[in-house]
Amino acid sequence: MTLTKRTRIILLLAPALVLLGGLFFSALGLGLLRSLRYMPSIGLSEPDLAAYIAVLSSPGFLASLGLSLWIAGASTLISVMIALGAALLLRQTFPGRQFIAFLFQLNLTIPHIVGAIGILYLFSQSGAFARLAFAGGLIGRPGDFPALVHDPFAIGIILQYVWKEVPFIGLILLANMQAIGEDHESTARSLGATRWQAFVHVLLPMLMPGLVAASALVFAFAFGAYEIPLILGASAPEALPVLAYRSYTDVDLAARPEAMAMAMIIALLGGAMVLVYARFTRPAGRGRNAR
Amino acid sequence: MTALDLAGLTKRYPVNTAPTVQALDLTVESGSLTALLGPSGSGKTTVMKLIAGLLTPDEGDIRLGGQSIRDLPPERRRVVMVFQSPLLFPHMTVAENVGFGLRMRGVAPSQTAARTAAMLEKVRLTGLGTRRPVELSGGQQQRAALARALVLEPDLLLLDEPLSNLDASLRDEMRDLILSLQRETGVTTLVVTHDQSEAVILADRIALLLDGRLAQHATPDEIYRRPASRAVAEFFGGVNFLPGQAAGGVFQSDLGPLPLPPGHIKGGSVLTIRPEAIVLGPGPDARDATVLACTFLGTQTRVELDLGGTRLQALTNPWAASELAPGDRVDVTLPQDALWLLSGS
Amino acid sequence: MRADVFRLIAGITLALWLVLPLVPLAIWSFAHGWRFPDILPRDWSLKAWAYAFSPTSGVVGSLGLTLFIAAATTVLAALVGVPAGRALGLHAFRGKAIVTLVLLAPAIVPGIAVALGLHGVFLRLGLTGTVSGVILAHLIPVIPYMTLIMASVFSSFDTTYEDQARSLGARPHQVFIHVTLPAILPGLMIGALFAFLVSWSQYLLTLSIGGGRVQTLPLTLFTFASSGRNDVTGAIAMIYILPGLLVLLLTARHLTGRNAALTPRVAP
Repeated sequence: MTLTKRTRIILLLAPALVLLGGLFFSALGLGLLRSLRYMPSIGLSEPDLAAYIAVLSSPGFLASLGLSLWIAGASTLISVMIALGAALLLRQTFPGRQFIAFLFQLNLTIPHIVGAIGILYLFSQSGAFARLAFAGGLIGRPGDFPALVHDPFAIGIILQYVWKEVPFIGLILLANMQAIGEDHESTARSLGATRWQAFVHVLLPMLMPGLVAASALVFAFAFGAYEIPLILGASAPEALPVLAYRSYTDVDLAARPEAMAMAMIIALLGGAMVLVYARFTRPAGRGRNAR
Repeated sequence: MTALDLAGLTKRYPVNTAPTVQALDLTVESGSLTALLGPSGSGKTTVMKLIAGLLTPDEGDIRLGGQSIRDLPPERRRVVMVFQSPLLFPHMTVAENVGFGLRMRGVAPSQTAARTAAMLEKVRLTGLGTRRPVELSGGQQQRAALARALVLEPDLLLLDEPLSNLDASLRDEMRDLILSLQRETGVTTLVVTHDQSEAVILADRIALLLDGRLAQHATPDEIYRRPASRAVAEFFGGVNFLPGQAAGGVFQSDLGPLPLPPGHIKGGSVLTIRPEAIVLGPGPDARDATVLACTFLGTQTRVELDLGGTRLQALTNPWAASELAPGDRVDVTLPQDALWLLSGS
Repeated sequence: MRADVFRLIAGITLALWLVLPLVPLAIWSFAHGWRFPDILPRDWSLKAWAYAFSPTSGVVGSLGLTLFIAAATTVLAALVGVPAGRALGLHAFRGKAIVTLVLLAPAIVPGIAVALGLHGVFLRLGLTGTVSGVILAHLIPVIPYMTLIMASVFSSFDTTYEDQARSLGARPHQVFIHVTLPAILPGLMIGALFAFLVSWSQYLLTLSIGGGRVQTLPLTLFTFASSGRNDVTGAIAMIYILPGLLVLLLTARHLTGRNAALTPRVAP
């Protein structure tokens, strides 16, 4: 018995798609129904937008949304800038380059929550930097040290993301740079471009798709992560994921559709980042344009 | 005795296009070395994969030693295909590669080792069994791939363009090895190639495949001297085709009557002569010609001639042509035994 | 050479910044009290480590559970991800772009967006508060990594090796074991490493689906961190980052021979 190619492809894909569909898409589907307050088991059989209206008109939600957008935007931007510099640095040969490349990879394996606690112990008002500031005579007591964690500007959270994402973006850029090679830049230089012009007009545009795709991943992650703002964030306003989860686990069950509505809003933004990522990366494999 | 018999073999790839292989009939004699020759895209490799069982035919039958193998999986066909690149499994040693098929069949390890060692010796790779494939040269890899197939003592060996990936120096060595191993083992061998010189130097018989159909199946010498059609002649480098009419052993054309070689009785309207058969210089039957152009081709010179309005190309040794220039008059002889009458157009 | 000096300084700054957050954690794990404003602890001890490894802390059990969940998730993800990766890596077919998006989305859409709905689904199936429920939840972000990495592995795999093996007499399962698997193994190891680490780092999905009854290492770590036991927190954090460090050292040496084992695919 021989299978047609199409049947074979379907059979190969089926387990992964069925499993993911059963888990991911059923979870999103149920979340959507709940957010529309559709729960026939307790007599709610008319979907409505009440939860969305309540959420979108709540100042607490808007403050959390704004904070999470700020965290995600600032973390992504700062990480991209430093990662670009770091990748350009690591492309050169200098003593210790191998070691830094190793540290980059090591960093990838460290869970975010460890980084978050580390940042907390470094930057809290009784943390390592506060002690150094005291030893240097800059502060007289812990309260004098500027609030860098649990602070309204989410500096601690952003510091943690920058710590984790610079190696992430940096390694992606480094891999892209190796794939691109140096011939294009050399050509630009021989045509009279300065080192800086060659970077801005030749290398950077070639790196752009990878950079945008990596940024989309970082933005989605920094926007939606839960445990990092839980450890490093201020109590008000909370980051959106923290607010959503607290609403979901609230004793008042009436808050659940609102929690689901917030989850859907986060999913929507995540979905947009999926599209950005897919737009700027080529899927693995052959014949991607084939019908 | 017939070893392989293809009957009405047809394979279509996607719908809406012409079949890649169309109703192919071919018999291969036991113990022969046959070349399946055709230009790229003529469906040769498809034929080979159909015989090996890596593709399923849409129509037709494949018989090996009289038995249909059409519905057998590849591993039960006693047909082994050797691909164009050596494809040695990189994670195995050379000896493990050569013994692969025996292990898959569950042959005892001691016997596998002995047969592997004997085979490695035959392909002159003794002592290299413990090496990894990457440590071998290109020619050694090719030999190991051949050993890996022959150790299985297949009823039919399929070779896909065995010489075309090799540079000139390795080509001769590999050809001699294939010929001597084939003679020694007597394995029926089918070589697929697009390169007529590869087919000519390897095969006892050539099956020429043009447009998915069998155009001629004969010895290399016969195809060279007696092409079955103009298309066959052109594929083998024929360039001179004279229109005319044959009657009573004489071909009437613009060059006047040309006596045909004896035994040439069938009728035909096109006469061909190979360019290298045309003789330049004085002779009893010489004709008058004008040189139109001379092109040095490396080992031969191509001379374009005008014989009273009829254009012919001759290939000659460069010394013979060294004095010639366009516009010169030259004596030309068309030897009688080099004339060949093509049937049909 | 001014450029050299600049590079060296930049490199040192970068290296320091990369290890800096780990330093107080490591110091805390050996500190016997470390009050403000001491730069270093006055007394050192192994008390936190002893406590972490004692039965009362529950860290060892938590470590075993986390390892089990990550290993089970990795194996399951490989079982479905290798075939799917093969389809994506080797074949062009209609709808491939959609399939790729469907496989990509669960890795990028934040866990919080899925966790709440998934909790509702698992509540009905009786999977909340169970280890199997947590493993299934971890599969959501893990399957995409595995599949996409295997797709790129298969896209550079030459299937004529499989044809050659078939022609030499290997049956389909023999071809997979003797030819395909060895060829994709290095890539599969990278995929498994990523899968393991993604499950290993999971916090929210474990918290929401496990409901506190499936106490993996990050949950234990958070418990100690929020109770102010900085020394034990430091020790657990060190234990928690150890497997990642080990696999990194192993893969860097064995898989590529260079320090290029981890080029991130989709794991921020």
